[in-house]
Amino acid sequence: MNDARFAQTLEYTSEALRAIDLALFAAASGDHNPLHLDEQVAQQAGFERPLVHGMLTMAHAGRMFTQAFGPGSVQALQTRFTGTVQRGERLRMRAVLSSVEDGAARYSIEVAAGDGKPVATGMARIRPLHP
Amino acid sequence: MDRSLVGWSSDAVLVRVDAWRVSLFCQAIGQAPPAAQDPVPPTFLKALEGESCSSASILERLGVPLRSVLHAEQAFEHLAPVRAGETLAVSRRVAGIEDKRGGTIALIHLETEFDRDDVRVANSRQTVLVRRETV
Repeated sequence: MNDARFAQTLEYTSEALRAIDLALFAAASGDHNPLHLDEQVAQQAGFERPLVHGMLTMAHAGRMFTQAFGPGSVQALQTRFTGTVQRGERLRMRAVLSSVEDGAARYSIEVAAGDGKPVATGMARIRPLHP
Repeated sequence: MDRSLVGWSSDAVLVRVDAWRVSLFCQAIGQAPPAAQDPVPPTFLKALEGESCSSASILERLGVPLRSVLHAEQAFEHLAPVRAGETLAVSRRVAGIEDKRGGTIALIHLETEFDRDDVRVANSRQTVLVRRETV
Protein backbone atom coordinates (compact mmCIF):
# COMPACT_ATOMS: atom_id res chain seq x y z
CA MET A 1 0.00 0.00 0.00
CA ASN A 2 3.04 2.30 0.22
CA ASP A 3 3.78 2.44 -3.50
CA ALA A 4 4.46 6.15 -4.11
CA ARG A 5 3.15 5.97 -7.69
CA PHE A 6 -0.38 5.50 -6.45
CA ALA A 7 -2.24 8.36 -4.76
CA GLN A 8 -4.52 7.36 -1.89
CA THR A 9 -7.39 9.27 -3.49
CA LEU A 10 -8.13 10.84 -6.85
CA GLU A 11 -10.80 13.44 -7.43
CA TYR A 12 -12.22 14.53 -10.76
CA THR A 13 -14.97 16.95 -11.74
CA SER A 14 -16.19 17.22 -15.32
CA GLU A 15 -17.52 20.32 -16.99
CA ALA A 16 -21.32 20.50 -17.12
CA LEU A 17 -22.24 18.02 -19.87
CA ARG A 18 -23.71 19.89 -22.83
CA ALA A 19 -25.95 18.81 -25.72
CA ILE A 20 -22.91 18.99 -28.02
CA ASP A 21 -20.99 16.56 -25.76
CA LEU A 22 -23.87 14.08 -25.90
CA ALA A 23 -24.14 14.49 -29.68
CA LEU A 24 -20.40 13.97 -30.14
CA PHE A 25 -20.55 10.91 -27.91
CA ALA A 26 -23.52 9.50 -29.81
CA ALA A 27 -21.56 9.86 -33.05
CA ALA A 28 -18.37 8.37 -31.57
CA SER A 29 -20.08 5.48 -29.81
CA GLY A 30 -22.82 4.72 -32.31
CA ASP A 31 -25.42 4.95 -29.52
CA HIS A 32 -28.06 7.19 -31.06
CA ASN A 33 -30.84 6.40 -28.57
CA PRO A 34 -33.03 9.55 -28.67
CA LEU A 35 -33.30 9.46 -24.87
CA HIS A 36 -29.80 11.01 -24.91
CA LEU A 37 -30.47 13.58 -27.57
CA ASP A 38 -34.13 14.55 -27.82
CA GLU A 39 -35.77 16.72 -25.18
CA GLN A 40 -39.26 15.46 -26.00
CA VAL A 41 -38.34 11.78 -25.82
CA ALA A 42 -36.63 12.40 -22.45
CA GLN A 43 -39.70 14.19 -21.13
CA GLN A 44 -42.01 11.40 -22.29
CA ALA A 45 -39.80 9.03 -20.29
CA GLY A 46 -40.28 11.20 -17.20
CA PHE A 47 -37.03 13.19 -17.23
CA GLU A 48 -36.69 16.93 -17.45
CA ARG A 49 -33.73 16.79 -19.84
CA PRO A 50 -32.01 14.16 -22.01
CA LEU A 51 -30.00 11.55 -20.11
CA VAL A 52 -26.24 11.28 -20.35
CA HIS A 53 -25.06 7.96 -21.84
CA GLY A 54 -23.80 5.65 -19.07
CA MET A 55 -20.81 5.02 -21.31
CA LEU A 56 -20.08 8.78 -21.39
CA THR A 57 -19.95 8.76 -17.58
CA MET A 58 -17.64 5.75 -17.77
CA ALA A 59 -15.46 7.47 -20.38
CA HIS A 60 -14.89 10.27 -17.85
CA ALA A 61 -13.94 7.65 -15.23
CA GLY A 62 -11.38 6.30 -17.69
CA ARG A 63 -10.11 9.84 -18.24
CA MET A 64 -9.68 10.38 -14.50
CA PHE A 65 -7.25 7.44 -14.41
CA THR A 66 -5.39 8.09 -17.66
CA GLN A 67 -4.89 11.73 -16.62
CA ALA A 68 -3.34 10.57 -13.37
CA PHE A 69 -1.38 7.49 -14.55
CA GLY A 70 -0.97 7.89 -18.31
CA PRO A 71 -2.48 6.29 -21.42
CA GLY A 72 -2.66 2.52 -21.27
CA SER A 73 -2.57 2.41 -17.47
CA VAL A 74 -6.10 1.05 -17.04
CA GLN A 75 -5.94 -2.76 -16.98
CA ALA A 76 -9.51 -3.18 -15.82
CA LEU A 77 -12.43 -0.86 -15.29
CA GLN A 78 -15.86 -1.84 -14.07
CA THR A 79 -18.87 0.38 -13.43
CA ARG A 80 -22.31 -0.23 -12.03
CA PHE A 81 -24.79 2.47 -13.05
CA THR A 82 -27.06 3.26 -10.11
CA GLY A 83 -28.66 6.56 -11.09
CA THR A 84 -29.28 8.83 -14.03
CA VAL A 85 -27.29 11.89 -15.11
CA GLN A 86 -29.14 14.61 -16.98
CA ARG A 87 -27.73 16.95 -19.58
CA GLY A 88 -26.34 20.09 -17.92
CA GLU A 89 -25.07 18.26 -14.83
CA ARG A 90 -21.44 17.82 -13.81
CA LEU A 91 -19.90 14.50 -12.82
CA ARG A 92 -17.96 14.38 -9.57
CA MET A 93 -15.79 11.33 -9.10
CA ARG A 94 -13.68 10.03 -6.30
CA ALA A 95 -11.40 7.02 -6.45
CA VAL A 96 -9.92 5.49 -3.30
CA LEU A 97 -6.90 3.18 -3.31
CA SER A 98 -7.89 -0.15 -1.83
CA SER A 99 -4.84 -2.34 -2.49
CA VAL A 100 -1.60 -2.70 -4.43
CA GLU A 101 -0.60 -6.14 -5.66
CA ASP A 102 2.17 -7.11 -8.10
CA GLY A 103 2.66 -3.48 -9.10
CA ALA A 104 -1.00 -2.89 -9.91
CA ALA A 105 -3.30 -0.72 -7.81
CA ARG A 106 -6.94 -1.37 -7.20
CA TYR A 107 -9.20 1.65 -6.74
CA SER A 108 -12.85 1.81 -5.78
CA ILE A 109 -14.83 4.51 -7.57
CA GLU A 110 -17.85 6.59 -6.61
CA VAL A 111 -19.56 8.94 -9.05
CA ALA A 112 -22.10 11.61 -8.18
CA ALA A 113 -23.87 14.11 -10.41
CA GLY A 114 -25.67 17.41 -10.09
CA ASP A 115 -26.37 18.16 -6.45
CA GLY A 116 -24.47 15.09 -5.26
CA LYS A 117 -26.83 12.19 -6.01
CA PRO A 118 -24.89 8.92 -6.48
CA VAL A 119 -25.00 7.71 -10.09
CA ALA A 120 -22.35 5.01 -10.35
CA THR A 121 -19.88 2.91 -8.41
CA GLY A 122 -17.00 0.91 -9.71
CA MET A 123 -13.54 -0.54 -9.54
CA ALA A 124 -10.34 -0.04 -11.50
CA ARG A 125 -7.07 -1.94 -11.71
CA ILE A 126 -4.21 0.37 -12.68
CA ARG A 127 -0.69 -0.39 -13.84
CA PRO A 128 1.18 2.53 -15.39
CA LEU A 129 2.74 1.64 -18.79
CA HIS A 130 5.77 3.83 -18.07
CA PRO A 131 6.68 3.50 -14.42
CA MET B 1 -37.58 -13.08 -24.25
CA ASP B 2 -35.95 -15.84 -26.30
CA ARG B 3 -33.81 -17.70 -23.75
CA SER B 4 -32.67 -20.23 -26.33
CA LEU B 5 -30.13 -17.58 -27.36
CA VAL B 6 -28.12 -18.01 -24.16
CA GLY B 7 -24.72 -19.21 -25.36
CA TRP B 8 -25.19 -17.74 -28.84
CA SER B 9 -22.14 -15.94 -30.28
CA SER B 10 -21.91 -13.53 -33.16
CA ASP B 11 -19.37 -14.27 -35.89
CA ALA B 12 -16.12 -12.37 -35.35
CA VAL B 13 -16.17 -9.18 -37.41
CA LEU B 14 -13.01 -7.28 -38.35
CA VAL B 15 -13.32 -3.70 -37.12
CA ARG B 16 -10.76 -0.97 -37.76
CA VAL B 17 -9.89 1.35 -34.87
CA ASP B 18 -10.51 4.56 -36.77
CA ALA B 19 -8.36 7.54 -35.61
CA TRP B 20 -11.18 9.88 -36.58
CA ARG B 21 -13.61 8.05 -34.31
CA VAL B 22 -11.09 8.00 -31.45
CA SER B 23 -10.71 11.79 -31.84
CA LEU B 24 -14.46 12.27 -31.72
CA PHE B 25 -14.69 10.12 -28.59
CA CYS B 26 -11.94 12.19 -26.92
CA GLN B 27 -13.60 15.45 -27.97
CA ALA B 28 -16.84 14.33 -26.28
CA ILE B 29 -14.99 14.08 -22.94
CA GLY B 30 -12.88 17.21 -23.44
CA GLN B 31 -9.64 15.32 -23.90
CA ALA B 32 -6.91 15.61 -26.56
CA PRO B 33 -6.72 12.56 -28.86
CA PRO B 34 -3.95 10.08 -27.97
CA ALA B 35 -0.53 10.45 -29.60
CA ALA B 36 0.03 7.86 -32.36
CA GLN B 37 2.10 5.61 -30.06
CA ASP B 38 -0.40 5.80 -27.19
CA PRO B 39 -3.31 3.42 -26.61
CA VAL B 40 -6.91 4.48 -27.17
CA PRO B 41 -8.99 5.46 -24.07
CA PRO B 42 -9.95 2.41 -21.97
CA THR B 43 -13.68 2.47 -22.67
CA PHE B 44 -13.35 3.28 -26.39
CA LEU B 45 -13.66 -0.43 -27.22
CA LYS B 46 -17.38 -0.26 -26.45
CA ALA B 47 -17.75 1.90 -29.56
CA LEU B 48 -16.31 -0.94 -31.67
CA GLU B 49 -18.92 -3.42 -30.44
CA GLY B 50 -21.63 -1.61 -32.34
CA GLU B 51 -19.65 -2.06 -35.57
CA SER B 52 -19.61 -5.80 -35.08
CA CYS B 53 -22.96 -6.66 -33.50
CA SER B 54 -24.64 -3.92 -31.49
CA SER B 55 -26.31 -4.52 -28.15
CA ALA B 56 -29.48 -3.11 -29.74
CA SER B 57 -29.39 -5.81 -32.44
CA ILE B 58 -28.82 -8.53 -29.83
CA LEU B 59 -31.77 -7.25 -27.77
CA GLU B 60 -33.88 -7.30 -30.91
CA ARG B 61 -32.94 -10.96 -31.48
CA LEU B 62 -33.90 -11.68 -27.87
CA GLY B 63 -37.26 -9.97 -28.43
CA VAL B 64 -36.58 -7.28 -25.83
CA PRO B 65 -37.79 -3.76 -26.69
CA LEU B 66 -35.17 -1.04 -26.21
CA ARG B 67 -37.55 1.10 -24.17
CA SER B 68 -37.62 -1.55 -21.44
CA VAL B 69 -33.86 -1.71 -20.85
CA LEU B 70 -31.21 0.06 -18.84
CA HIS B 71 -27.45 -0.31 -19.07
CA ALA B 72 -26.79 -1.63 -15.56
CA GLU B 73 -23.13 -2.60 -15.57
CA GLN B 74 -20.10 -2.49 -17.82
CA ALA B 75 -16.62 -3.90 -17.39
CA PHE B 76 -13.43 -3.97 -19.45
CA GLU B 77 -10.28 -5.98 -19.09
CA HIS B 78 -7.29 -4.84 -21.14
CA LEU B 79 -4.62 -7.42 -21.86
CA ALA B 80 -2.58 -5.41 -24.39
CA PRO B 81 -2.64 -1.79 -25.62
CA VAL B 82 -4.88 -1.05 -28.64
CA ARG B 83 -3.92 1.84 -30.91
CA ALA B 84 -5.68 3.78 -33.65
CA GLY B 85 -5.13 2.27 -37.10
CA GLU B 86 -5.22 -1.33 -35.87
CA THR B 87 -7.85 -3.89 -36.87
CA LEU B 88 -9.49 -6.09 -34.25
CA ALA B 89 -11.70 -9.14 -34.59
CA VAL B 90 -14.74 -8.52 -32.39
CA SER B 91 -17.23 -11.18 -31.38
CA ARG B 92 -20.08 -11.00 -28.89
CA ARG B 93 -21.92 -13.62 -26.89
CA VAL B 94 -25.11 -13.86 -24.86
CA ALA B 95 -23.49 -15.21 -21.69
CA GLY B 96 -26.57 -15.54 -19.54
CA ILE B 97 -30.00 -14.34 -18.47
CA GLU B 98 -30.89 -14.08 -14.78
CA ASP B 99 -34.26 -13.34 -13.23
CA LYS B 100 -34.20 -11.05 -10.20
CA ARG B 101 -36.61 -9.51 -7.73
CA GLY B 102 -39.22 -12.20 -8.08
CA GLY B 103 -39.06 -12.06 -11.85
CA THR B 104 -39.93 -8.37 -12.16
CA ILE B 105 -36.55 -7.67 -13.69
CA ALA B 106 -34.09 -9.73 -15.70
CA LEU B 107 -30.37 -9.23 -16.21
CA ILE B 108 -28.90 -10.07 -19.61
CA HIS B 109 -25.14 -10.62 -19.58
CA LEU B 110 -23.30 -9.95 -22.84
CA GLU B 111 -19.60 -10.67 -23.31
CA THR B 112 -17.28 -9.40 -26.02
CA GLU B 113 -13.88 -10.65 -27.11
CA PHE B 114 -11.40 -8.39 -28.90
CA ASP B 115 -8.57 -10.16 -30.74
CA ARG B 116 -5.67 -8.81 -32.78
CA ASP B 117 -3.92 -11.32 -35.06
CA ASP B 118 -5.59 -14.16 -33.14
CA VAL B 119 -4.30 -12.88 -29.79
CA ARG B 120 -6.79 -11.65 -27.19
CA VAL B 121 -6.22 -7.95 -26.39
CA ALA B 122 -9.36 -7.20 -24.36
CA ASN B 123 -12.61 -8.57 -22.98
CA SER B 124 -15.71 -6.68 -22.02
CA ARG B 125 -18.87 -7.55 -20.16
CA GLN B 126 -22.15 -5.66 -20.29
CA THR B 127 -25.18 -6.22 -18.09
CA VAL B 128 -28.50 -5.02 -19.44
CA LEU B 129 -31.39 -4.71 -17.02
CA VAL B 130 -34.82 -5.50 -18.47
CA ARG B 131 -37.95 -4.26 -16.70
CA ARG B 132 -40.22 -7.25 -17.22
CA GLU B 133 -43.58 -5.51 -16.90
CA THR B 134 -42.83 -3.87 -20.24
CA VAL B 135 -41.92 -7.12 -22.04
